[in-house]
Amino acid sequence: MTDLWYLIIVDPTLNGLIALSGALPKQVQFGLAIILLTVTVRIILLPVSLRQLKSTKAMQSLHPKMQELQKKHGRNKQKLQQETMKLYKESGINPIGCMGPMLIQFPVWIALYQSIMRALATTPENLLDLSHRLYSWEAVSHALPLNNNFLWLDLAGSGDFFLAILVGGSMWVQQKMTTAPSADPKQQSTAQSMQIMMPFMFGAFVLMFPSGLAIFWLISNLIGIATQYFLGGGWGNLTNPFSSAESKSKK
Amino acid sequence: MKIKIAKIVILLSFITILLFSIGCTGVQREPIGFSGVNSYEGILYIGTTDGRIVAVNPESRVDREVFPSPDGEWEYSPIVPSTGWSCSDSSAPVSIYGTPVVTDGLACIGIYNGKVLMMNPIARNSNLPFPQQRDEEWSYPRTDELIAPIVGSPAILDDIVYISCSDSMIYALDRRFGDELWKSEPLGDKLWVTPVIKDDVLYVSTFDGHIYTLSATDGDLLPWSFKSETGFISSPAIYEDIIIVGSFDRNLHAVRIGDNTPLWSFAAENWFWGTALVDDGIVYAGCLDGKVYALDVLTGDKIWEFNAGESVVSSPIMADDSIVVASEAGDIFIVDKLTGRGKSVMGLEGTDEDIVSTTGAIIRSSLCYSEGIVYVHTQNDVLFAIDVEQANISWMYSLEQEQDK
Repeated sequence: MTDLWYLIIVDPTLNGLIALSGALPKQVQFGLAIILLTVTVRIILLPVSLRQLKSTKAMQSLHPKMQELQKKHGRNKQKLQQETMKLYKESGINPIGCMGPMLIQFPVWIALYQSIMRALATTPENLLDLSHRLYSWEAVSHALPLNNNFLWLDLAGSGDFFLAILVGGSMWVQQKMTTAPSADPKQQSTAQSMQIMMPFMFGAFVLMFPSGLAIFWLISNLIGIATQYFLGGGWGNLTNPFSSAESKSKK
Repeated sequence: MKIKIAKIVILLSFITILLFSIGCTGVQREPIGFSGVNSYEGILYIGTTDGRIVAVNPESRVDREVFPSPDGEWEYSPIVPSTGWSCSDSSAPVSIYGTPVVTDGLACIGIYNGKVLMMNPIARNSNLPFPQQRDEEWSYPRTDELIAPIVGSPAILDDIVYISCSDSMIYALDRRFGDELWKSEPLGDKLWVTPVIKDDVLYVSTFDGHIYTLSATDGDLLPWSFKSETGFISSPAIYEDIIIVGSFDRNLHAVRIGDNTPLWSFAAENWFWGTALVDDGIVYAGCLDGKVYALDVLTGDKIWEFNAGESVVSSPIMADDSIVVASEAGDIFIVDKLTGRGKSVMGLEGTDEDIVSTTGAIIRSSLCYSEGIVYVHTQNDVLFAIDVEQANISWMYSLEQEQDK
């Protein structure tokens, strides 16, 4: 199973990434290749992302109705749940519709992640391992070894605070834009906590993992933000960051 | 509130575990090391995968004495400042890739963490604090500072230690005191090779496809250098005026010193990682495609090839009239240097591939031949002594520390 995973997913991605690096200026080759590959993958997965966006948007459009339901059946949880499900059904929305596309994208992210880590080959053991995963393409052999430097970053190194802030900040913006509001105050509160915790956690990951991976996260977040802005209809919840606080205070 | 926090913690823990398990188990990031064996006056010197430098007396191992015996055996664990996050001063064990080089009774090694060490066996045997300056022991840099990772072995000529470093520079250090005599200008990409010295000239192959020549006296770049389209992966080997080196394009190249084009190139299915062995006009080169090739040094014509089955990472070694080869899978082969066929076999006589023994562990480090015995250090830190004539394992000894055994 692992062999198949590498044969079909990781190795083609890895070799594609290295060959792409070879076609780019040596000074910025690997950093730029990560960016281009991330953009390419995001474009390929655009239909899936749009479906996810549509589901999220549909959920957002139900927000007023769900608030009404909350007011009406707030004390009877079972009834609230039944009415919420009924509303979803009537509106033709699958509440876990957002999860499906995310699950489809997940293996692709893992493959990208593994490819970047392998291509960096920071230790002799990594380089030996890399040798067994390379195709005999001239474009691949000519690109090696990859230049780890990109802008001010050592892509194989870790611990860049500025990059951590960029990744954490962009993740917060993206999450804020895309998270659908919930009628359930508990769910809303959990979502809010996640919006803070996730960027912090990924910021911490940036300090632990190679910067090459952080570039991938950053570009991925920026593309997510752009997709949401241009195709999802603007800044979404970001323009009303205190919406839940307001609704609480109204109560 | 408590339930909410618990939910978040569980979710975050799940994501963290998922990321680390997928990322970290898929790609090993920490350097382990694969130090080879060197023999000097009957004592074997090895760097272990847990970061110790060990001196082993074969006679004591045959007699099964408690390690370290007083007969020249010792072990030393260098500690370097930790580069990770810590609130207080902390130290970390080291990784060793190079093979210790012994000269005038002193053992020298460069470690991946960025230090060069010169050790006196007498001081190490007595367990004295390191370094004992009056015993000509030193570390470079002297302070807690570290230079970039060192992968290659030191090269020593007269009273100078030469070492290549991942910061793309060659360092020349005084053999007796460890003073920095000079360091070269940056040579492009990181250097993971062992420099070769010939006629007071240092030859270095680089990841960005250069062969540079430097003055061994002052480190100045000499006029001749060679530029290839692809980077070089192996350390250079020199035979008369021909440099043999493996590159990332899966070729073994021969370059005549002074020329701008390769004398010949030999293509294989993967990289030539280990340094080629050249003897009597024939190049013996192990390849990651699992084969060992014997080539004419002047023409690059293939004389024979030997299939080791799995990647050959370590360099082949000459043992009288045979070539001894170790595959990464742990098999050791004795091959006739003229025909490419095995001489003697344990249970497999008559086949082309003569397996002497299998160590059952990964072999990446350099082999060592001394007085009819080939010494092999495996990745699980076992030292094997292979009797070449008998074609069997003479003895083996686990170098793991007592508490780990």
